Amino acid sequence: MDKPTMKVTRRRFLQASGTAAGAAGAAIGTGQLVGLKPIGEAQAQQASGQTVVNKSICGQCPARCGIDIYTTDGRVHAIYGSNDHPIANGKLCPKGHLGTYILYDPDRFKGPMKRTNPNKGRNEDPKFVPISWDEAFKTVADRLNALRDKGESHRFGLFFGRGWGASDVGVNIAPFGKLYGSPNAPIGHSSICSDGSVLAKQCTDGNASYSSYDYRNANYLLIFGANFLEAFRPYNNNMQVWGHIRRDKTPRTSVTYVDVHMNQTAAAADRALLVKPGTDGALALAIAHVILTEGLWERSFVGDFTDGQNRFKTGQTIEPDSFTEKWTNGLAQWWNTELKDRTPKWAEAITTIPADLIVKTAREFGTTRPAIALFERGAHNHSNGVLNGMAIHSLNALVGSLFAEGGLAYQMGPAYGPAPADPADYMDDYAKNGPHKKMPRIDLQGHEDGYLMAKNMIQEVGTNHLAGKPYKLDTALFYMTNPCFSTPKAKDWEEALKSMFVIATSPFPDETSMMADLILPDTTYIERWQDAPTYPFQGWPLAQLRTPAVKPLYDVKTFGDTLIGIGKLIKGPTGEYYKKVESVENILRHLAKGFEANPGDNGVKDFEGWKAKGCWYKKPYHWRQVRGEFFEWDGKGWNKPMSPDQVKAKLMPTASGKFEFVSSYMEKKKDWVLKATGRDPAKYNMPHWEPPKYTGSGDLHFITPKTAMHAEGRSANLPHAITLFQPANGGNKQSLAELHPSVAKAKGIKSGDRIKIKSDLGEIFAIAKVTELTRPDTLVLPFEHGHWAGGRWSKGRGSHVDEITPAQSDRISGMANYYTGKVSVEKA
Amino acid sequence: MTKWGMVIDLDKCTGCQACSTACQMENNRLPGENYQDVLYYTDRSQPTPKLVWFPRPCMHCEEPSCMHVCPTKATFKTEEGVVLVDWNKCIGCKYCMIACPYGVRFYTDEKPVIEPNVKDVFPGTGDLSWNPPYKGPQQDNAHGVGIQPHGVVSKCTFCYHKISKAPKGTSDLSNEDPALREYVPACVRTCAPTARYFGDLDNPNSEVSRLISDRDGARLLEHTGNKPQVYYLGRSAVVPGFKKS
Ligand code: SF4
Ligand code: SF4
Ligand code: SF4
Repeated sequence: MDKPTMKVTRRRFLQASGTAAGAAGAAIGTGQLVGLKPIGEAQAQQASGQTVVNKSICGQCPARCGIDIYTTDGRVHAIYGSNDHPIANGKLCPKGHLGTYILYDPDRFKGPMKRTNPNKGRNEDPKFVPISWDEAFKTVADRLNALRDKGESHRFGLFFGRGWGASDVGVNIAPFGKLYGSPNAPIGHSSICSDGSVLAKQCTDGNASYSSYDYRNANYLLIFGANFLEAFRPYNNNMQVWGHIRRDKTPRTSVTYVDVHMNQTAAAADRALLVKPGTDGALALAIAHVILTEGLWERSFVGDFTDGQNRFKTGQTIEPDSFTEKWTNGLAQWWNTELKDRTPKWAEAITTIPADLIVKTAREFGTTRPAIALFERGAHNHSNGVLNGMAIHSLNALVGSLFAEGGLAYQMGPAYGPAPADPADYMDDYAKNGPHKKMPRIDLQGHEDGYLMAKNMIQEVGTNHLAGKPYKLDTALFYMTNPCFSTPKAKDWEEALKSMFVIATSPFPDETSMMADLILPDTTYIERWQDAPTYPFQGWPLAQLRTPAVKPLYDVKTFGDTLIGIGKLIKGPTGEYYKKVESVENILRHLAKGFEANPGDNGVKDFEGWKAKGCWYKKPYHWRQVRGEFFEWDGKGWNKPMSPDQVKAKLMPTASGKFEFVSSYMEKKKDWVLKATGRDPAKYNMPHWEPPKYTGSGDLHFITPKTAMHAEGRSANLPHAITLFQPANGGNKQSLAELHPSVAKAKGIKSGDRIKIKSDLGEIFAIAKVTELTRPDTLVLPFEHGHWAGGRWSKGRGSHVDEITPAQSDRISGMANYYTGKVSVEKA
Repeated sequence: MTKWGMVIDLDKCTGCQACSTACQMENNRLPGENYQDVLYYTDRSQPTPKLVWFPRPCMHCEEPSCMHVCPTKATFKTEEGVVLVDWNKCIGCKYCMIACPYGVRFYTDEKPVIEPNVKDVFPGTGDLSWNPPYKGPQQDNAHGVGIQPHGVVSKCTFCYHKISKAPKGTSDLSNEDPALREYVPACVRTCAPTARYFGDLDNPNSEVSRLISDRDGARLLEHTGNKPQVYYLGRSAVVPGFKKS
């Protein structure tokens, strides 16, 4: 049996099925987007005869592992984890090693270019011609200056992807919009990333952030849709943790994992609960119900009945006054209005998880301290996403894990020095009072008509622009984001780009560059200066530094320097500000001055030390909750008791200063929330069950997960990565669509068949993998592949899932509901 | 005398394939032709399916059938127990590929796993089959290290160019000791959960010897008599064809 695209070993040992026969439909030849200089130049660096090891930071996912880059004779030939970097500890994930290939990707852009064909579209050759950087900067600055002169500066948008902390694109991008005068500069991609968890945390414990986790000291992990061993940050460190908690640590940490298909995390866990998509919240509520009825909650954190008698009985309300809460708020109200009826039996009907397994999980979670309940996109990429997240996070409160050893907390920022210039000193009258001040953002974030509580709404921009509501953009600059490929209903964005002046900065050809008017290619992470404060990790501050291992191979510029170059040409004080800022390297030197007063644990106290070590960090995390008392670090231990006011100010900034089962943050927007969601006024601001709104008329849930090889979108053009798909979705030529055998049988589909997947938005093609790993009501096909523009390996390979992913967002968080769609399949 | 061997703990292994990519880059592997591969198996049905995996390098057998069949003695075993191919002697007859029960040998001039063929994108010069831009500095044809010439068979070398430089008498090579890190095989060095161990099987006090003893280390396909120097710990019973000794 020939399965041309299945992951099989070519060897005869334990062979799964036949040999490879014929390549999948990969585009040979590179189309119009290849750079203009021969590959040979990439290798023409001079010989030194010595191997140099350079400290830097991986750029392929938000984990930001410290890397040692090995360069001999000007050629980068190996990347390993830095032993002295606290996230990497000498290790890497599978992507990390392939970074060399990202540097030497033969399809990279070789220098700035402009479009000469005014027509834009998938089949239009942009006819790029090379230009100088001076011309490139002037072109952009002239446009922006002209817009500002007309009072239309709001029609400039700056869209960016990866970002955490103030300056980790190498330059703080926020001042650009402030000084120039646009509410749309910048708009981040967080609403297609993980805003669902940010809002769930903000609504409950008051922190608009991802959490830091102390996994190493936890004895129980209950994980909802955060694919710990494939796609959850910090991937590499998660795996180090795994080796420790599952084998080296005594007692061994137990893990229950909730997802919609059997992936590696599910397989490696003690228990896999393969839940119906979008129903994680029901499962969490039932677990909470059992924790309360069986009296398993942490009394030192939550409080207790005044007489110590447990009155939580299924279906019965309690007298609110009979329960005295300590660090939580609203438990009685939550129980009486919602939780009392959320039995395991009830949840079984919704989630398809047998009630006895829910009870077992709840008992384990409720009796094993410390325990962590964590979640990500799987749980919150639905219309009820924030509610699901709030329900799951409430489990942490019930077992007292917040700020506890072996629990979860939040991330401290690094001790940076002040930037070279303060934007406040460079605001002219226009910046302060110009017409842009009255303009809503193009994505209607923060607007009554749009998403009042969302952080960003990048997925709405294309649609809004096309409708001219609230207005049309004139010019758009993109950094590490490719929304015309990666947002739901990607085609709206694609269409919108036809009527904007588009500036692309990716080092590699992609869909945005195909639609671009200007290409200002960025350096790869191997070639640049850039700081990278850690994503939430273990709480204590950590600031990392990318340093160039080699000079840029081509005539390319780090995005930060591109932005500064444009900024210098903006008329008035903006230009002055950017002259003062000077360069990314100058900014980094200023930031590093903060280390003088706060030397890192690794001795880093200045720029040179930072460069040599690749990171600055200072342990420990300053706060800890121990059996219901909060303490602050005094230099020797967590010895300083904290008052409730201090806890409120520093750790749980909610109205009550406590963990809120009934959200005061949401209450502040009550009228809008009720109008926008139609939710029950008695429950709208507490974790409660609301069925997810599935979109489309198909019979299968369409789930499009991230794979371990994702590499910030780059792995699609890495031939080595393409051959290493993970087992669940695995093919060794392209991603595969997982289908349950019952579905396959009904439709006459076999593994390796080409299938058509249809949603209300259209149809795409994929190669089927018939497998028992996926639920019978679900189709799993990872995102990232199916590029219609790109490099020689990525273009035309695999299926573009976001073309048929409907545009529905969580009304509260604005999180794109990627996993909401229902599709049908047939043999193509 | 040192006898190098590897231990892989399947209870810790997350199936991430970092061992494979580290090896790919260290040893300039062609896409999809991995000296070290992770194999995945599924079994049973919803809602209780099983997914297991299994990393597989060359076993560096004590009785290497690949070596025994080699007509030119190109395949040989070093004094420290490492099985290598001398590319200067290999005639590319592929007998060894048939003889190896573990399927871990590669012939240079196969059809590419994916198109466009990286060998065309980065063409080699002279004898070398290709010229990846990230090529490492080591080239040692006599020990099968570096870029493969045309017409030969190649295989995992236990990163011979690294381990052969380790201080004599070292019991275990691990990333944990920064002084030893450059001598550790790439796959072992990078394995995030520390599921891979590398050390001297003849030293009864090495970590690998202790693990094999304490955790009931098992070898793959014992019945072949090849006696692998790679041992597995943990969920062994679930791997198809995997019998405990
Ligand atoms: S991709 Fe992420 S987890 Fe992997 S090595 Fe890079 S930063 Fe670390
Ligand atoms: S690197 Fe380690 S954990 Fe990852 S697949 Fe290889 S042996 Fe397993
Ligand atoms: S595993 Fe195969 S190639 Fe490796 S030594 Fe044994 S027989 Fe030879």
